[in-house]
Parts: sequence; structure tokens; C-alpha cells
Amino acid sequence: MHTADRSEISARVLTVLEKRFGDAAHALAPDVDLSDTLPGFDSLAALEYVTAVEGEFGIEVDFVGDDVRYWFSTLDRTALYVHERVEDQAA
Amino acid sequence: MTYDTLLDSSGVVSGESDLWCTYAAVRTLSWLGRIDDLPSPDGVVGFLSSRQNSDGGFAWSAGMSSDAWATYYCTQTLADLSADTHGAVGRSSSAWVWSAAHADGGFAMTPGQTSDVWATYYAVRTLVEIYEERPPGTLFDWLAALQAEDGGLAWSPAHAKNGTSDVRACYYALTAWSTATGGEGPLPWDRQRLTDWLKDRQSTDGGFTFQAGDETDCLWATFRACNALDRLGEAPRDPDGCVAWIRARLDAEGAFTRWPGYPVPDVWAAFCAVGALRALGAGLDDLADGLVRTLLSFRTAQGGFTYRAPEFASDVLTTSAQVMAGRFPDSAAREAVRWMESCMLPNEDGIMYMPGRGSEVRCTLWALSAGAFEEDADARGRITRWLGDAIQNPDGGFGYWEGRASDMVSTCAAAEMMHRTGGSSAAAPLRGVAAFVATCETAPGQYANVPGGRPTLRATLQARRALQRAGTVDGAPVVDALARHRVRGGGFANEGNRVPDLLSTYEAVLAADAFGLAWDTGHLAKFLDSVRTVDDGFAWTPLMATSGGPLADCLGRRLELRLTSDQHTLPPLALS
Repeated sequence: MHTADRSEISARVLTVLEKRFGDAAHALAPDVDLSDTLPGFDSLAALEYVTAVEGEFGIEVDFVGDDVRYWFSTLDRTALYVHERVEDQAA
Repeated sequence: MTYDTLLDSSGVVSGESDLWCTYAAVRTLSWLGRIDDLPSPDGVVGFLSSRQNSDGGFAWSAGMSSDAWATYYCTQTLADLSADTHGAVGRSSSAWVWSAAHADGGFAMTPGQTSDVWATYYAVRTLVEIYEERPPGTLFDWLAALQAEDGGLAWSPAHAKNGTSDVRACYYALTAWSTATGGEGPLPWDRQRLTDWLKDRQSTDGGFTFQAGDETDCLWATFRACNALDRLGEAPRDPDGCVAWIRARLDAEGAFTRWPGYPVPDVWAAFCAVGALRALGAGLDDLADGLVRTLLSFRTAQGGFTYRAPEFASDVLTTSAQVMAGRFPDSAAREAVRWMESCMLPNEDGIMYMPGRGSEVRCTLWALSAGAFEEDADARGRITRWLGDAIQNPDGGFGYWEGRASDMVSTCAAAEMMHRTGGSSAAAPLRGVAAFVATCETAPGQYANVPGGRPTLRATLQARRALQRAGTVDGAPVVDALARHRVRGGGFANEGNRVPDLLSTYEAVLAADAFGLAWDTGHLAKFLDSVRTVDDGFAWTPLMATSGGPLADCLGRRLELRLTSDQHTLPPLALS
């Protein structure tokens, strides 16, 4: 099974954000806090983001056990989380 | 009764802008020709835009579902500010409004709910005035059915059969008709009887009341009556007396208050006074400077407006939440409760979200749960009568406030209150509650918030609590619902079983306790760990890092207290 590398995952996560937040996400730095940077990134938008990432990579997030507010707070952290989950699934 | 407690509020201030207050402030500035006095219109636009959902509609607060009320207020205010009412989502606000249309010609506040005249008014104004679309031809049949036997207009055709006429319903229906027709074409009601009924609401003092039998003239009723008569090409029987009564509501600072003897100027009083004086053709020039100064002092740091100077702008939900979370020492809690008790004003015997606004069902439950009127049997009796006699809908359910179509949240809240305060007089209204709940059952044991809605955990548990209060104790559907929505790692989800949230988890524990069902304390503790925040509060979901505000903090704290060895009972709240 092909496992994506970190840069490819980052690009795909950024595409997910661009679909939801448009231009505001276009030049997003990888380490900035999404709730501070993206207008309207409230709990509903965060849920939509996590769900869209799940759909994009075919993974299932554990909303209680996985500390989602940490892993989905920046682009970099999301990419790392996804990378590990994809690797786990491939193992 | 005096309202001195309201002068220097001992309630709790949220600091947030309010949608209706923002609409009323901007509309009043616009009517006065003083919109350019607004120092930061971009802040207002930003606040309003933050209320838009991805379905194109707008919601009262972030995270809530879209409704016709919020959608009209937001799009109209954006239009007053010359902002783009189509926003980033194009014309989909109009598409959202159409999603709440019924085949009978009326509109619902949310899709699937029964039509009412509030929602129909907002929908028609949004479609015609903002999006330049035409309402359905069947609208006029629906409006025609609103005339009651006494000649006035009611909240819905079903209300009209029961004979409940109200000045607000007259204004909303007449404005929907005149907006749709440009004031031309046949009037769908008996003009003379409607005109007479409206004129009869004026008292000898010059002001108006909402309904026959109300004792206190009110600026809001006066505004709606004057405008309704204006739509008919009529005027009050005593127009000079009406103008004098309105001007007598001015305080020394040049701001308006709503009732004789009510000391607090607020945004709605300014809105109503200016709107009524415009309809009466009375001059406003000498009032404008004082009103503009007052209105601008109601702005909040969030960008919009609240109802009075922000440092005093307490509200009942925030205040009751802080009391129930134990945030106050005893003496301050007593003062806060006393402040909430003073939010019951003339003509409507429920508690208001903000004093001067209409009484609301959920807020009344939250205030009672926080201790309001605990030792005042008369007041509790008035609340029971308000629920059972004044605002219960013909379908047996309750809406957020008088005339609003029924929903499960409000119906459950009303059932809890009638159980608490009503005694034997609540038996008949509670039978009506059971009838409404049955219309929301989408599959055996599964319920939606409104008759045409999707089933959710919260609506199901609220339905079963309401039925329990009505005398039907059957825990099996609760057991099934809790199993269906239990999230493996901790907490409960409103839809499905993957994303837990604080409100659904609170409802789950509350219902389990109410039906005597065992539940897993470790499962709850894990969930609370996932929503506890570094600022000593609670988030609505594990996704957010900061507190969801006083209401979330209250629910989280009460769940923590439930886990202590004392096993503190959860207040029987309903929120959404």
C-alpha cells in the first residue's frame, strides 16, 4: 500500500482548508494556530475540518482519546497526525 | 412593583453583542439618517457575518442552526450598512429561506417546523426587500386565515380558531402583505373589523397594549400598532395623545424607556419610539442627537450592540449559569437571583432573556433552576398560568416565546417548569405536551426537535423527559437512545456516536438520572477531561481549546459536581 510522505500530506490538508476557508487559508504558515488565523474557525468549522481530513485520508479520528484540539490546531500537527495514522493503517 | 434592581444590574454581563440589539440600533440610526455616525461599521459587519452558516442562513449565535429571524435581521442590517448581503455564499440566504416554506403559503422559523406569522414576516421581507424575489401566491390564503373572531390577527391559522389576537401578529401579517403587494391589491381580511380591533388597543393614556386585557401600555406595542394602522392607511383614534405618550417615555438624558415607571433606557425603546413617531408623521429632529448618543453607548467590543450600556447589560442565561456553577458567594448569588426575578415585566409572566425583551421559555426554566421565585408561590403561579393559558400553542407544544411555533427544547423546558410549579393545574397543559411530542416521533422511540426534523439524541431525551412529566414513564427508549449515541472513548453525541459534545452529554446524564438508569462514571470523567480547558472552564466539544463561555462552564461544572461523592443533582435544563 502506498503511504504518502509528509509534504504530500501537508499539501492535501491545505487543500482541505482552502476548500472551506478560501483565500484566508491560501498562504497559511504551517505552524500558526488555525483558530487564531482563519476567520470563523469555531467549533463547528473545526468539526468540519476534522471530518474533511478523515474523508480525504480514509482515517477515523478518536475525538476523546486523541487530543484533537492539539493535533488539529495547526497544519503541521495535522499532517503529522495523519502521517502516523496512515502509517499505522499500512502496518 | 418597582424595577430599581435593574438600574445598577447585579446580574452577570456576557460582554457579547446581540443580534436583535444590533439590528434595532442600526435600523434606528438609519431611520434618523445618522448611519454615518457609526464609528466602525466594519465591526458590525464582521459581527453579523460571523453568524452566517454554511447553509446560507444566519443563526442567533455561532454554532446554532439558521432561522428566519436571524436571517432577516442580519441581511437587513447588512443592507442598511451598504454591505454585501449576498456575502461569500452568493444568493444562498434566499435559498435557505425557501427551504422553510410550506405548501400552505406560510413559512417556518426553521425547516420542518410549523408556519407562524413571525417567521412568515421575516421570510417575506428577506425575499422581497433583500433578494427582490416574489413570495408564493398561496401566501395570501395563509395570511387570510389569521383573522380571529374578534377581528384581530393571530399567530397562525390554528391560533386564530382559538381567538388569540395580538398587535404584533397584526403588524407582522400586514407588513408581509404590504411587502408582497406593495400595499396594492385586495386586503385578505375584513378591513373594518381589523382596524377597529387595532384601534381598541389604545388606552386613554395614549399608548397601546398587545392584547385585550393587558394592563400596561408598552412602547413596543405602540410601535407595532401605529405601523399596522399605517399599513391600513389609518391612524390611532387619538394620534396626538399617542405622540404625547411616546414622548413622555423620554428620560432626562434624551433616551427612551418602555413603560411608565420603568427606569432603564434600552435599544428597543429607542427603536420602537422612532419607528412609531415615523409612522405617526411626528417630528424627530429634536430627539436625534440624544438618541444617537445613547445608541452608540450600547456598542460592545465584539463589534455589534447590546441592549444598554455594556457594563450593565446582564442577561438571564449568563447570570443563572454563573449561579448554578457556584461562581458567587452566597450574598452575591442572592442579589443575582433577585435581579433575575426583576426580569419579569408587565403583561407577560415569564422571565426575559434581557429585561425589556419578551419573556422566553428556556430563560424562565434556567432562572427558576438557579433559584428564582423559590419562596414566591404567587410568582410561580403566574408562570404556570403564563405557560398554560397564554403561550401554549394549539398543537400542545411551546415555542421560544409567545406566538413562536413549537419545538422540543421549549416544550421540554415548559414541561419541566409546569411539573415544578404547576401542581394539579398543570395536568391539562401537560396532556397537550404529550400530543405535540408525538408529532416529533420520526421512528419508534426517536424524536426530532420539530415535526419535520431529523432525530437526535437531545430531542429524543427531551421528548422522553417531557413525556415523563406528562405521566408516561418509559425508560426503554432512553436506554436505546443512550446506547445508540454513546461515544466509545467518553461522552455522548447528538448525532451518530463519534463526536461527543458537552450539551448532549449533560442531557444524557440528566435523562439517565431522571429514569433511574445506571451509567458509567469513568466514561463521563474521560469526556470531561477532554473538554476541560486551561482557562478553568469547559469547551462545548473536545475540538476547542478555550471555554465555550458561561453556559458551557456551568454544564461542565454541574457534571463535575455530579461525579463527587455528594452526587449533586443536575438541574433539569434544556438549551438547544
